[in-house]
Amino acid sequence: MTQTAPLMRVDRFDNGLTLVMEQMPDVQSASMVLAIMGGASQDPEHGVGSGNVLSDWILRGAGERDSRALTSALDSLGVQRSCGVDTVFLRFSAGMLAKNLPAVLPLVADIFQNAQLPEAGFSACRDLALGQIAAIDDEPSQKLNILLRQQHLPPPLGRPTLGVKEHVAVLTAADLRLDYRRRFTPDGAILSIAGRIEFDRMHDLVNRCFGSWTGARALPAAPGQAPGGSRHVHQETNQVQIGLAFESTPEREPESILAMLAVNVLSGGMGSRLFSEIREKQGLCYAVHAGYQSLRTLGMIFGYAGTVPDRAQRTLDSFVQELKKLRAGITADELERARIGMKSRVVMNGESTGARAAALLHDMYHLGRPRSLDELRHRIESPTLTDVNDYLAAHPVERMTLVTIGPGELTPPV
Amino acid sequence: MSTFKHTKLNNQLDIIAEVMPTARTAAIGFMVKTGSRDEEPQVSGVSHFLEHMMFKGTERRSAADINREFDSLGARNNAFTSNEVTCYWAQVLPEYLPAALDILADMMRPALREDDFNMEKNVILEEISLYLDKPGHVLYERIMEDHFGAHPMAQSILGSKESITALSQQQMRNYFDRHYGPGNMVLAAAGQINFDELVQLTDQACGRWPSVAVERRYPPLTHSARRHHIRDEKLKRHYICMLCRGPSAQDMERFSAAVLADVIGDHDGSRFFWSLIESGLAEEADFSTFPHDGLGSFYAYASCDPAKADLVEETMIRELGRVRIEGVAEDEIARSKTKISTSTVMSGELPLGRMRNLCSQWIYNREFRTLEQDLAELEKVNLPSIGDLLTKYPFEPLTITTLGPGDR
Repeated sequence: MTQTAPLMRVDRFDNGLTLVMEQMPDVQSASMVLAIMGGASQDPEHGVGSGNVLSDWILRGAGERDSRALTSALDSLGVQRSCGVDTVFLRFSAGMLAKNLPAVLPLVADIFQNAQLPEAGFSACRDLALGQIAAIDDEPSQKLNILLRQQHLPPPLGRPTLGVKEHVAVLTAADLRLDYRRRFTPDGAILSIAGRIEFDRMHDLVNRCFGSWTGARALPAAPGQAPGGSRHVHQETNQVQIGLAFESTPEREPESILAMLAVNVLSGGMGSRLFSEIREKQGLCYAVHAGYQSLRTLGMIFGYAGTVPDRAQRTLDSFVQELKKLRAGITADELERARIGMKSRVVMNGESTGARAAALLHDMYHLGRPRSLDELRHRIESPTLTDVNDYLAAHPVERMTLVTIGPGELTPPV
Repeated sequence: MSTFKHTKLNNQLDIIAEVMPTARTAAIGFMVKTGSRDEEPQVSGVSHFLEHMMFKGTERRSAADINREFDSLGARNNAFTSNEVTCYWAQVLPEYLPAALDILADMMRPALREDDFNMEKNVILEEISLYLDKPGHVLYERIMEDHFGAHPMAQSILGSKESITALSQQQMRNYFDRHYGPGNMVLAAAGQINFDELVQLTDQACGRWPSVAVERRYPPLTHSARRHHIRDEKLKRHYICMLCRGPSAQDMERFSAAVLADVIGDHDGSRFFWSLIESGLAEEADFSTFPHDGLGSFYAYASCDPAKADLVEETMIRELGRVRIEGVAEDEIARSKTKISTSTVMSGELPLGRMRNLCSQWIYNREFRTLEQDLAELEKVNLPSIGDLLTKYPFEPLTITTLGPGDR
C-alpha cells in the first residue's frame, strides 16, 4: 500500500492566533479544536473554577443568538462538540461533516468573541459546576486523579480543573464577565483543523471569522512549590485507590521519546510489565497502569492501581518495585514491542479526524510545529536500546508523590 | 467505495467483512451470541469471567504468549461482555492481520487451566469491588433487576462476589462447550482486508471446531410500574434511573427510537438538556434507547443534589409525559437526524467502528447493512413514524430506581 505524505500547513495571524491544518482526502468529516491559553492555571487565585464555569456559560448564547438559537444552530449542523478546561487550555472541540465547517466556524467565533453571558444562565452554570465538584466524592478514582495532580504539580499547575467549591460558590456574574474579556484573547490561541478541507478556503474563512479578534493575554504567574510527598485521604471505599507520580522529561526535549518508550514497556499493551507482573502473575488488581504526560516545561509519569484493602500494601510495593527496576534497563524484545505498539497507534489515530485535530494542537503547544505521521514514526524508530537504557540509568525514579484514598493508610515506599 | 463480503464455513461459522480500500488499518473480531442473559442463576457472572479466561492460554499458547504476541503486532485489542454478547477484537496494521487472526482464533479454543482460573478469580473479584465504588453502575444493576424481574435480562454481567467465589472450573467448561459453537458466533473484519486470504486462514484455524446446537430463551417480559429507593448514606449525590419498554434490535422502529431518544435526552439541545441541565437542576441527564434481542428498552438517567431529588424526578416524568401526549416537533426531528447521521458517518470512517457495527447487525439480524442503508432508514423517520412509536411504546409502565443518601 502506498501512502502519500499528509498535507499540513500552519498560518499565523497578526493577532496571535495560529491556524494549523491537515488535509485528509479519504474522509467525509472534519474536526476542529479552538484552544485559548485560558485553562485552570489562568484562573484568579481566589476564583479557581472560573474557567470551568465560563466554558459552560459561553455556550448559553453568542452574537445574535440566544442559548436556544445557538444550540439549535450547532445541532442543525450535526456538530458533535465539547467545551472544557484543562491545566493550560480552555478548548472547544467539534466534529462534523466537512461540508458544514464553513457554517460552524462563525458560530465558534461568536462564542469566543461575543458570548452573551446572560444573567439568567449564570447561576445554573455555577450550580452545575458545584454539582460536578460534589460528585467527585462519589467517584473515588476521579478524586484520586485530582488529588494526585494537586500534590505532585507546583501551583497553579496542579489546580483542580473543575474548581474549588468555596471559590465557585461565591463567583459572581460580574466577576466572570471581566474574566471573559481578559481570558478570551487570540494571543497564543491555536485553531487546529483536520479532515476534508482546502487550505486556502479555510485560511480565508478563519481570517473572516477571527481576523478582527483582539487582546493580549496576561502572562502566567511563575509556578510555586509542589507539595510532593505522600498523602492519605480516609474514605470508606470498597477499593483502595493508589496514585503515584514522579518527574520525567518534558515532551519538547528530544529525550522525551526515551521516557515514552520506557513507559510503554511498563504499561503499554497487555504484555507490559505492570499488567503482567501485578495483575496476571499476582492477581492483585483489575486496573493497574502508568502513563506519560507533559506540560511545556514539565514532564511526569503517573501510575494508578485500585485494589481491596487486604491487597493494597502488596500492590503498592510491587508497583514501586517495578518502577525502581526500570533503572536496570529494558530488553531488546521489550523495546521492539513498545516501538511497534506506539507506531501502530500513530497510524490508527491517523484515520480519525478528531484524533488528528487534537494531535496538531498538542504538537503546536509542545513544539511550535505540527508533526506528520512519518515524522512521528521516525521518532519512534530512531532510538537504540542503548539510548533508552542509558537514559533510564541516568534518570532513576526518585522523589515519588503518593496519594491514597481508602479505609486504611499504607506505608509509603522508601 | 466499501464492499461487503460474506461466506460460511462448513461448521456454520459466518465470516463477514467490509473491505474499505482507503483504510490504513484493519479490525477483526469474534462476536459470540452469549452473555449474562444466557446464564443459569448458579453460574451468574460466568460469561464475563470466561471472557477473561479466554486470554489465559490455549494448548499452544500461555497467557503471557498471547499478550506478548499481540504486543509484538502493535495490536490494539480487548474484549467485552454484555447481557447478550461477548466480543473479542483486535485492530492492527494490515500486514499483521493474518498473525492477529491466528492468535484470536486460537484464543477461541481456551485451555481453561485450573491455576489460571483460581488466579483470575481474584481479578474478577477486584473488578466487582471497583464497580461497587461507582454509584451509576450500582444503580444500573439494581434497575435491571427491578425492571426485568424474572426475565433473564435482569441477570448481572459481573455476577456477585458469592457467585464468582462459588464458581468452579468445570462449570465454566460446561458453559463454554454449550455456548461457543461456531454457529453461535460471527467473525467480522473491516478496513484494509484481503477477504480470500481471511477466509482461507479462518478455515484452517476454525474449520474443525465442532458444531453445537445453541438455543437462547425468549420468555415474555411482564412488568408493572414500580418505584424503589436504595439508601446509601455515604453518597453525596442522588442518582435516578428509569426503564420502560422500547423497540428491539430486530424492530425497524429502532431508527425512530434513536431519533426520539436523541430529541428527549441527548447531552446537548434535548428536552432533558433544557429542563434539567441548562436550568442547573441536574449535573447529568440523558435518555437513550437500548435495543435488545427480541425486546427493548428506553432508559433515563440523572444525577443531582439530594435536595433536588424530587424536583428532578418529577421533571423527568413530566418531560416524558409531554412527549407522550404532545409528541415532538418537526424541527427537533430534523436536528436529531442530522446529529445521528453525522456520528454514523464519523464512526463509519474508522475500521473498529465499522467492525463492531457489522458484528452486532449479524448477531442480532443476520444481515449486513451498509452505512448508506442506515442513513437512508434514518432519513425516513418523520412525525408519523414517531407518533406510531409513541403509541406502541408510551413510556409506561415505568420502572424507577433511585440511589442516594436520603430517605426516598
